[in-house]
Amino acid sequence: MDQPTFGLILNLISTLLACGGALFFIAGTVGLLRLPDLYSRLHALTKADNLGLGLIMLAVLPQAPDLFFALKMLLLWVLVMIAGATGAHLIAKRAVRGDGEDIL
Amino acid sequence: MGPLGRLSLFSALWAVLAGGSPASWIIGAPTVLSAAWASLRLHPDTGRDGRAGMRLLGLVRFTPFFLLQSIRGGLDVALRVLRPRLRIHPGFQSYRPRLGDPLARVVFLDTISLLPGTLSADMRDGLIHIHALDARDDLEPGLARLEAVVAALFGESLESGTR
Repeated sequence: MDQPTFGLILNLISTLLACGGALFFIAGTVGLLRLPDLYSRLHALTKADNLGLGLIMLAVLPQAPDLFFALKMLLLWVLVMIAGATGAHLIAKRAVRGDGEDIL
Repeated sequence: MGPLGRLSLFSALWAVLAGGSPASWIIGAPTVLSAAWASLRLHPDTGRDGRAGMRLLGLVRFTPFFLLQSIRGGLDVALRVLRPRLRIHPGFQSYRPRLGDPLARVVFLDTISLLPGTLSADMRDGLIHIHALDARDDLEPGLARLEAVVAALFGESLESGTR
């Protein structure tokens, strides 16, 4: 396979993955708007956005200039997942215990 | 992990995040120091050797399980909310975890929230309060499976027959 064709295929893969990722971010936002209560909304935000970000990261990987950059993308995804899941747990916990300020 | 181990871990993380530029350490050095201090305060060394370390074999088992389940989790919630009529029956269930190690419990709580249809809402008196998008399903088998994978990740054995 010659160089331009290979580049074209990589770009195509990136585009498809990025579109998939955007779709999940949209789904997460739709969930946030449509779901009826705080807990259900947290589901949409943690799970759909986590998958969306994963796909966007995979889309960026073929465009990575070096291995270091690829490693950074992977690390970012892991950190955002940890922060997202922990944040969701803390918000839900405050709401369950009802000792938050004006949560509901 | 001792203070030196934590300092090198956070330095490595910063190096990957900020790239190789020496100037980035103007921000990086205080950040790494604060992170190491905070982690020592929040999760001090217990001195027990080999308790809370991750196992390579466990990681090999955990990673594909986690990736597959989080794809299912994202798809599940996306399909539920994109339908013309929301397909949800939200409610709570509880689960008594057998994991003893605090770090393993945190990993368990966080992964519950990324898996299909479950969100760890609270943990009190050894009981995890779990919010489910569809509370008519019995969450127990899936949670027990996840717990086993997390236990393997930390080389912990769950004694069976206690429930």
